[in-house]
Amino acid sequence: MASAVAGSSAAVPFWRAAGMTYITYSNVCASLVRGCLKEPYKSEAATREKVHFAISKWANGKPEKPTIRSDSPEE
Amino acid sequence: MAMVALRREGRRFLLSPMSPNPATAARSAILSEEFNPSGTRSISTQVVRNRMKSVKNIQKITKAMKMVAASKLRAVQIRTENSRGLWQPFTALLGDVPSVDVKKNVIVTITSDKGLCGGINSTSVKISKSLYKFTSGPEKETKYVILGEKGKVQMVRDSKNSIEMSITELQKNPLNYTQVSVLADDILKNVEYDALRIIFNKFHSVVSFIPTVSTILSPEVVERESESGGKLGNLDSYEIEGGETKAEVLQNLAEFQFSCVLFNAALENACSELGARMSAMDSSSRNAGEMLDRLTLTYNRTRQASITTELIEIISGASALTG
Repeated sequence: MASAVAGSSAAVPFWRAAGMTYITYSNVCASLVRGCLKEPYKSEAATREKVHFAISKWANGKPEKPTIRSDSPEE
Repeated sequence: MAMVALRREGRRFLLSPMSPNPATAARSAILSEEFNPSGTRSISTQVVRNRMKSVKNIQKITKAMKMVAASKLRAVQIRTENSRGLWQPFTALLGDVPSVDVKKNVIVTITSDKGLCGGINSTSVKISKSLYKFTSGPEKETKYVILGEKGKVQMVRDSKNSIEMSITELQKNPLNYTQVSVLADDILKNVEYDALRIIFNKFHSVVSFIPTVSTILSPEVVERESESGGKLGNLDSYEIEGGETKAEVLQNLAEFQFSCVLFNAALENACSELGARMSAMDSSSRNAGEMLDRLTLTYNRTRQASITTELIEIISGASALTG
C-alpha cells in the first residue's frame, strides 16, 4: 500500500489521460497479445476479435440514426 | 406467429356453423364430424388436402428450426458455463447488492433480436419495468439501455421517454468478449450512473430460465458502501502492483466488472433464447402433428363415406334391374 500512497500525487495512468477506459486499454493489450501468436492459432484468435453491432441513442422518446460499429476492436 | 394464426384458422374451420351459402356449407360438411347425406356426391376433398399440405409444410419448418436451435445451443451452452467464472470473483470481492439505493440508476435490459422464442423477452421487459418502478422516486433518475430488437419494440410502447440507448444486431457474429467489451465501453462513456442493473435470463436448463438482476456500482458508491461496513474491507488486504490509488483501482475494477458481467449476461441470454426457441418449436411441431391427425381423420372419413354411397347406389341400381 505504501507505493499506492506515494503514487497518489502522480498523474492518472497514461491511457486514462488519453481518454481510454480500462476496458479499451485491456482490449488493446489483449489484441497485442493475440498478434504475437503463430499462424494456425493467430487466425483462430482473430475470429474472436470481430465486433459488430448497431447502437442508437434516444432523445425525446425517439431513436436517432443508429451508428454501426463493425470490426474495429481498437478505437 | 404462423402457428398461432394457423391454429386459430384451424379452429374456425372446424367450428364454422352451417351457413346458407352453398360453398361454405360444402366446406363445413367435409369437416363436420356428422356425415351429411344430401351433399355427399358433390363433395370435393380438395380443401382438406390443401390444408393438410400446408400444415405439413409448417411442421417441417418448425422441426427444422428446432434442430438448428438445438445444435447452436450446445456450443453456446459450453461458452456460457465457462463465462460464469468471469463474474464470480467480482461478486466475491465487491458483492452484489441489488437493494442499494442510489440516485442515478441505469437499467440494462438484455433481450434477443429474433422472435419465436417463447416468453423470455417479455420476462426481461416485465422485470425491467418493475425495477424501474422500484428505483424511481423524487430526485431520482432511471434510464433504460436496451439490447436487442424485441425488447426495444416492447419498451417503445409505454416508456420510450426513459430510453437512453438501444443496441441491436449484437448477435450477427458469434458473441465474443471483444465485442461485448467494446459495447460496454460505449455504454459507460454515454450514460451517467450510480448503479447499473443488468437484467437477463439466466440459463438453468433447456426448459428453465431464471430472470436475473446483476448490480454494478460506480466506484464512488462502492467506496461509500465500503465505509458503511460493506464487503470491500477485503480489498486492502490485496497487494496491488503499480502506483495507483484506491479510487483508481476501484474505477478500473468497476469498469472491468461491468464488461465481464455484461459478457456473461449476453451469453446467458443467448443461451436461454436458443433453449426457449427449442421448446417453443417442439410444441409447435407437436401441435401441427395433432392438427394433421385431426384433418387426416376427417379426410378419410369423408372419402370413405363417398365410396360407401357410390357402392350403395350401384348395388341398389343393379338389384332394381334384376328385381
